[in-house]
Amino acid sequence: MTFGQFIRDRRERLRETDRRFSVRQVAQRICVEPAYLSKIEREEVAPPSEEKIRALAQELGEDVDVLLAMAGKVSSDLLAIIRKRPTLFADLIRQLKSSPDHAILRVVRKVRDGDW
Amino acid sequence: MIELNNDVLSFRFPEVHAKAGCRIDFQRTLRIPDDNRDYPLPPGLGCFPVAHVDDHAEKLPAAWHRRGGVFLPMYQAEALWLHFSGGYPCAIKIAAGKINAVSGAAWTNDLSADQQDYVVTPEQPWLDGFNVSKGYIRQFVAMPLGEGYTAEEQIAGEAEHGGLQIIVYPMKREVYAEHFEKPIVHEELNYLAQPAYCRRATAEPDMGLAPGGLMRQEIYEDEYGTDAWDQEQGARCFVHMANSAMYQAITGRRPPHKPPTAMDYTRAGLPWFDYYSDGKALPGAGLLGKLTSVAAKIIEKGSLPLDGNDPVEPGAIKQLGKAHSVRDGEF
Repeated sequence: MTFGQFIRDRRERLRETDRRFSVRQVAQRICVEPAYLSKIEREEVAPPSEEKIRALAQELGEDVDVLLAMAGKVSSDLLAIIRKRPTLFADLIRQLKSSPDHAILRVVRKVRDGDW
Repeated sequence: MIELNNDVLSFRFPEVHAKAGCRIDFQRTLRIPDDNRDYPLPPGLGCFPVAHVDDHAEKLPAAWHRRGGVFLPMYQAEALWLHFSGGYPCAIKIAAGKINAVSGAAWTNDLSADQQDYVVTPEQPWLDGFNVSKGYIRQFVAMPLGEGYTAEEQIAGEAEHGGLQIIVYPMKREVYAEHFEKPIVHEELNYLAQPAYCRRATAEPDMGLAPGGLMRQEIYEDEYGTDAWDQEQGARCFVHMANSAMYQAITGRRPPHKPPTAMDYTRAGLPWFDYYSDGKALPGAGLLGKLTSVAAKIIEKGSLPLDGNDPVEPGAIKQLGKAHSVRDGEF
């Protein structure tokens, strides 16, 4: 599913139970013109800026990193991390690309519990 | 397992259920006047920045490293509230200086079946303070350890731990299935809602939570019972509190600026909040009800009065409920 289709699908699903999820009202809440949001959903324009994608993710209750990836973008905080050590992170991501989720989860840092 | 993602503690229990877990963040807020009048819920002014203790181990007290967990910066007399989110039911115990904020009892890992000493999410969207009486809490206010203000010092008589302690237990898989996975389709509740004492003995620069002003907030009774919670799968975290100067020295990052006073906020016409739920409220904890608030303690000690403690008349009070529990404030 493309970015526009995904946004439309999620928004429409929410609208089935809550009329506040019309194109007009969602556009208003993320501060864009309704016509622009409609074009995004119909893929007549490229996906919006990271800021607007973040606002959309919050509005629709979706994961911002998933939406950014679907829009062909990388979150600016991730970009900053990668730019600091590009070779290391490029290598890390390539090595992890086919690892199962549970193996990747082990790489994610846990908050350590100690003695108290 | 607990992860720290964008200043939010994320508790997950994939071994119990794919959806099992909850998130806890620590909201900056204004300190309500500590004048024995009761106030509605103050706004959330954004999350406190939270950092792994292990990332700054060489600059932190050895005791912090031993306890593990995370830390956040707080100014003296700054307030905070805990925001719970996520749709899978969890039982959460919260203590300040290892004094249970719901029951006033000393810390234990397990849930008490006799006197409820935990909150249940998602029914409980947030916790702003110590459970002092039915329908009322005293706001969590950060004060330096060793000066007699904190609940820990007032109840245990020692300034040993400080900080906040949290343990989360997910609902047992079979209980979840029974209540939430029957053929009838239930919308997953997701409250993206919005709705911190004694002998001077410590040389460590940490803070503890003291009872501040009185606030109208109910702590809801556990409608499932202690058997519903998977106590073999708990995850706990020590949340240390660094004073702001210490935080900057440790991390090199500036802490957030001070929140507005209740007076400034109210004069600006900004909203306060009230939360309605049909849940049954717990009675207050006797021990916590006897705590001396920060302002009263200051008078008792003959210290300088708290800044920004003038009474206010909250004008705009927004009513919140489960369906629209957004508690954001801008200043």
